[in-house]
Amino acid sequence: MSTMSASAVAHRGLYRAVQLRRNKGIGGLTIVVLLFLAAYAVLFPGLLTFEGFAKFSQTWLPLALTAMAQAMLMLAGGISLSVGATVSLGAVVAATTMGTPLGVAGGLGAVVLVGLVVGAITGAITVRLRLPAIIVTLAGSFIIGGVALLILPRPGGSVPTTVSDLLAGTSPVAFGLLLATIALWKLYAATPLGLGLYAAGENPVGAYRSGVAVDTVLIAAYAISGALTALAGFFVAAQTGSGDPVIGSAFTLNSIAAAVLGGVGFGGGQGTMRGAFLGSLLLTVMINVMFFLGLPPVAQYIAQGLIIVGAVALPEIAKRRAHRAGRVQS
Amino acid sequence: MATPVLEARDVRKAFFGNPVLKGVSIALEPGRVHALLGENGAGKSTLINILSGALAPDSGGVLVDGVALPLTPVVARRHGIAVVQQELSLTTHLSIAENIGLGAFPRRFGLVDYGALARSARALCERVGLDEDIARPVGDLSLGRRQLVEIAKALYRNPRVLILDEPTSSLSAHETRTLIGLVTALKRQGTAILYISHRLAEVMEICDYVTVLKDGSRTADRSLDGVDAAALVRLMVGRDPGDLFPTWRPTAEQQPAIAVRGFAAGRVRGVDLDLRAGEVLGIGGLVGQGQEDLLLGLYGAIPAAATTAQFGGRDGLPGSVTAANSCGLAYIPADRKREGVHLVHAIGSNMLLPGLARGAGWAWRYPAPESTQIRALAARFGIKGDLGRAAQALSGGNQQKVALAKWMPLDPKILLLNDPTRGVDIETKRDIYTMLRGFAAEGRAVMLASSDTPELVHLCDRVAVMRDGRVVAVLAGPEISEERIVALAMAADDVRSAA
Repeated sequence: MSTMSASAVAHRGLYRAVQLRRNKGIGGLTIVVLLFLAAYAVLFPGLLTFEGFAKFSQTWLPLALTAMAQAMLMLAGGISLSVGATVSLGAVVAATTMGTPLGVAGGLGAVVLVGLVVGAITGAITVRLRLPAIIVTLAGSFIIGGVALLILPRPGGSVPTTVSDLLAGTSPVAFGLLLATIALWKLYAATPLGLGLYAAGENPVGAYRSGVAVDTVLIAAYAISGALTALAGFFVAAQTGSGDPVIGSAFTLNSIAAAVLGGVGFGGGQGTMRGAFLGSLLLTVMINVMFFLGLPPVAQYIAQGLIIVGAVALPEIAKRRAHRAGRVQS
Repeated sequence: MATPVLEARDVRKAFFGNPVLKGVSIALEPGRVHALLGENGAGKSTLINILSGALAPDSGGVLVDGVALPLTPVVARRHGIAVVQQELSLTTHLSIAENIGLGAFPRRFGLVDYGALARSARALCERVGLDEDIARPVGDLSLGRRQLVEIAKALYRNPRVLILDEPTSSLSAHETRTLIGLVTALKRQGTAILYISHRLAEVMEICDYVTVLKDGSRTADRSLDGVDAAALVRLMVGRDPGDLFPTWRPTAEQQPAIAVRGFAAGRVRGVDLDLRAGEVLGIGGLVGQGQEDLLLGLYGAIPAAATTAQFGGRDGLPGSVTAANSCGLAYIPADRKREGVHLVHAIGSNMLLPGLARGAGWAWRYPAPESTQIRALAARFGIKGDLGRAAQALSGGNQQKVALAKWMPLDPKILLLNDPTRGVDIETKRDIYTMLRGFAAEGRAVMLASSDTPELVHLCDRVAVMRDGRVVAVLAGPEISEERIVALAMAADDVRSAA
């Protein structure tokens, strides 16, 4: 066994072997997602057209970005209630800067910068002062949401139509952006800072004793999470063509729901980014299916809630059953 | 004599005015395996924390290569000091290899160099005898295997000083052999090793030198040549009890209040035990050998099973806390801040709680009899001051009295106490001891699990010593001595029979 695995995990093999094991961990979820996707495609064959796929990936992208942002914080042992407000702020900043001499590139830079700063400040307060993330981000959501309203008291501003056409048009550019985001995350997760996130989130004392710069790792995670969230806001603004200071509200709870569906736990360091990513896909498909089935919005909420509770409860029930069975045998 | 790599000179450390180390010196030399021995609470962990920079001594100094340094974990690591502690520092969701390299990953272009990591991780796993796929997440491994990963992780940094805190406590016999081989090999390479273990056989086999701590003082610092296990045990025990303990006469009745055969709960397996009315039965052993599981199992707080069981004449285990209470059982937990009292609630409310939860039903509460009852309890247990204050205002000792007093209105026939005097001042200790003997004299049965050996010797009618989830011996009367209890707890008998 040892010699076999040793030769199998040859020179570059360790990375791949580790990734393979993580993939196995979300095998069940992948099957569920594929089943839902298949059902969706059967119900609405439009999904399989170029344009249908483009539209689908446009509804998926902002949820995927916020789910990843949320998952980063949950891996860091926290949670964010300010995702929605940060999405709104990102949208508002995009809509008020891109029409100015700053231009599209300058506006995009401003969105990313705002996200990084907001995230880093939240992270610094939470991590340095050892405050519960849920309280800091709750307060943060009021502040950030308030700032968005100050910048743009009512929907307005504009995102250049070229940008809207590119991102929210008939070509699946959004899907390309998703792939690019995943690639960047994979790079980050292969750095000591990214790997340290799992350790610092799950066992901060142990990570500190091992020489991980725990505070730096956590604050970096908050900053990156903020940038991802603000970028989701930029994308939402591009979709609507203008800025809306409260457009992001739904993303707070949906991002948590997607991460939880993807198997990310509340204890810190539990779960994987690929899980959160799949979770966001599953939630998007679920929302779309229920919408197209003509369920009233209230029923959609109830169904969504039931599915999420079920997703968290099922593994726990399975664990207890296995435990009980084990005891009876022994 | 070689210069010590790491040395502590006359270090003192106190927690909340309670001295834990009273001027201890220890010197670790390259190529020597140094044993650190002592009973529970002798100060071993504190000394390890000082040597690894996790704690700063109140006075005295730590020297690395003969130079005094203010040691922090970072500085210690830089000087090649590695510690394998009992609480693991691993991340369960990362692979074995990633855990080994954590905090000091080899890098290429800013990314973790998985190729280099795989090479060193594989070599280290082979050295510590871990034949697992290094891509496996640590969460899949047994506790013993995780311990091996922890050791590999310490070796990854090529330490000059390796501190092993009970490294074999969760290892199988085979894994222990591999580890002993590894320690011997490291010693030959010139690593200084500090080896903390309760297994005397191991210590006698691999260590060259020994430091023994007792109550925060050093009672021996010498070569292990020509020392036998019994002599080491004698160096660890023997505290002057002074007038701490009350004088008492045996009042045990023949009638058992609890009788279990083949009892199992948590770690506990195959325990046959009688607790008689009117006696104090001590439960001794090293920390975490199943003492708490035994008490909780009897109390119905964790699932338990027994081939036969009798509680106060009734057949069968209580199975739940409420049933245990109605059989006349009360349990006083070790962690009084979390389990014993409700810190933010009033002292009086705390003392009412067990009665409130039962008797009252849906009836109204009557403040007058309640406050009479509370005042009577407080007077009986010597709890002074305003009883409306939050329980957290009390000292640890008085909190413990509240935890005990609250059961009295239920008139329990059987008291299960889990280390009731840990972290309690001398005065309260004396009070608690007097109370416990008083309960026994009233014909109640008292089961006292304790990490304090003198307490077992001077207070108990009989002492059951636990090791690895089993009762290895029940001592009675003149058989009870600190030497005997510690020798049984540490399996020193096995040393003699093996030699």
